[in-house]
Amino acid sequence: MERIDTVTLSVINNALVNICREMGTAMMRTSYSPIFNEGLDFSCMIFNRRGDMIGQAEFCPTMLGSAQYAVNWTIEELGLESFGPGDVVIHNDPYRGQCHMPEHMVLKPVFFEGQLWGFVANIAHVGEIGGMAPGSFAADATEVYQEGLRLPPVKVISRGEYVKDVWKIILSNHRTPKTSWGDLHAMIGSLGIAEARLLELLERYGGERLTAASDLLLDYSERWMREEIRGIPNGEYRASDCMEDDGVTDQPVWLRLKLVVRDDDVIADWTDSDPQAKGPVNATFVVTAAASYSGLLHLTSNDIPRNSGCYRPIRIVTKPGSVVNVRHPGPSVGGNTETHPHLQNVVVAALSQAIPERSAAAEGASGCNFLFAGVHPDSGEYYTNYHIDGSGWGATAFHDGNSAMCPENGNCRNTPVEVLENKFPWMTLEYRLRPDSGGPGKFRGGLGSSRILRVLAPEITVSALMDRTKTRAWGLFGGGEGGSGGIFVKKKGDTRFRTFSETFGTVSDSKFTRVVLKEGDEVKIHSPGGGGYGPPAERAPEAVENDIRQGWVSPEATRERYGDGV
Amino acid sequence: MGRWEENTAKWHEQTMVYCDLCGRIIPKNFWIVEEGVERLVFCDPDCEQLYRDYWLPSRKREQ
Repeated sequence: MERIDTVTLSVINNALVNICREMGTAMMRTSYSPIFNEGLDFSCMIFNRRGDMIGQAEFCPTMLGSAQYAVNWTIEELGLESFGPGDVVIHNDPYRGQCHMPEHMVLKPVFFEGQLWGFVANIAHVGEIGGMAPGSFAADATEVYQEGLRLPPVKVISRGEYVKDVWKIILSNHRTPKTSWGDLHAMIGSLGIAEARLLELLERYGGERLTAASDLLLDYSERWMREEIRGIPNGEYRASDCMEDDGVTDQPVWLRLKLVVRDDDVIADWTDSDPQAKGPVNATFVVTAAASYSGLLHLTSNDIPRNSGCYRPIRIVTKPGSVVNVRHPGPSVGGNTETHPHLQNVVVAALSQAIPERSAAAEGASGCNFLFAGVHPDSGEYYTNYHIDGSGWGATAFHDGNSAMCPENGNCRNTPVEVLENKFPWMTLEYRLRPDSGGPGKFRGGLGSSRILRVLAPEITVSALMDRTKTRAWGLFGGGEGGSGGIFVKKKGDTRFRTFSETFGTVSDSKFTRVVLKEGDEVKIHSPGGGGYGPPAERAPEAVENDIRQGWVSPEATRERYGDGV
Repeated sequence: MGRWEENTAKWHEQTMVYCDLCGRIIPKNFWIVEEGVERLVFCDPDCEQLYRDYWLPSRKREQ
């Protein structure tokens, strides 16, 4: 292999990362939907021609872990010989290496000096793709066919020309085709920018040298990850968590991990997990793999170049037909937003037995997915929107958990009130941190949020898919549990908020679809809080005082948690 | 000793073949191992290796 000095390698690695960052910025600035331009619910990557991910930016870890499977599937199914300059392939099939139906990957081959050198790609959450529920997040789906339009890897652009037949199928199956058209073009346009930047890099270093450099970077990441794993004592570490229900049956579904550390590799064995759920909390294999990678990456060096190399020492074992590896035609839309953070938390919990100082208590672990649709009274146009709320993160050995943040696996942003109100007929009556929702501890869990929205249109159809509304995020090493979340409704004229099951008869309080609200009705979303770390009695008095001063912990809860002395 | 086999399903057939170790659906090329009457399907030789190094011994221990 060609010898390339470490400075050059570092420059090339940073260039690859920066290309991905620029791809993301372009998508953010040109997309139509708030889940793109505010939420940043997307990821951007570069692959070599073998399908190894050689660069990524700091977007959504869920997608970053699964992207290599989606790209590898695409290459294997279509064949390298099928790609031509100017092609763009689209793919969202959870039964072909994708994570769940809304995540669409677009992939563009990059040719240099007449040869296929590699690919630029991104995965993004397309907010409406048809199916049984507006917003395509059917919390009571029992099969994948209810979750929207399923696309195997197919070209949407061939040699620079639209493949109009495919576009017609896509746009006639989405409820908001104009928005899909805009968002998909933001994705595809950003590929063009990435392609141009990658070609500049290829001009500068040459194809062979850039291939050699990226191979060295892959091996370097693998070696570094193996060294990190060597720092974890060998052993079997077990942990588990449950999804509180699956939206169809009101029963918990258990995720059970045996994590085996063997010198310089790790086996994440999930085979003791529960059988596949009826409802859509099932994870696809790639979701479970991505969550396992993400858990390990949280506890190892931040400086390891994030490429396929660092995944090589992490092996995944699952059983098809289980909640961690859904079998066709099971539904899986909640697997990527709800089950994924639970899986990742379980990995961290298992490793907390081996490396307590690097681990964290459990987080709220819910995207608090809230979908709504209707006709906007101002424009007369039909709209849908995918809205997420942040929850509290778990505390660590060194600091309190972050408050009201998208789960660690999603790394998305909250949508500002101004944007929400400007685009959709809601009035925000409240948006604040929820006192006492962070688990007590030497370091306190992050707080969940409370949001109250009032309907300003004749009607809005809402759906939700949340978790940890009955269960709670666990604390570690004496730290307390975080507060559970919830979603509630107050019909116009009612005096208090009630659960959706009480008001509308839904099976689950946290997972339901197509509930029609009328003007003046209100929805309250409580996101769950994170767990605490260490005994509350060891919390610094000035930190307790600050919690009270800021209104994060009530005086009553302070006495209960930290004692009268405080 | 295993061998590579290609999925011979036609393009219009929707087949799903799962790896006997990791559980992933294998896109096109399978690593086949035949032991007597048993036919095992893996993603690649690495999955076969982990099946022998980890899966079989750990199941034996648990039984």
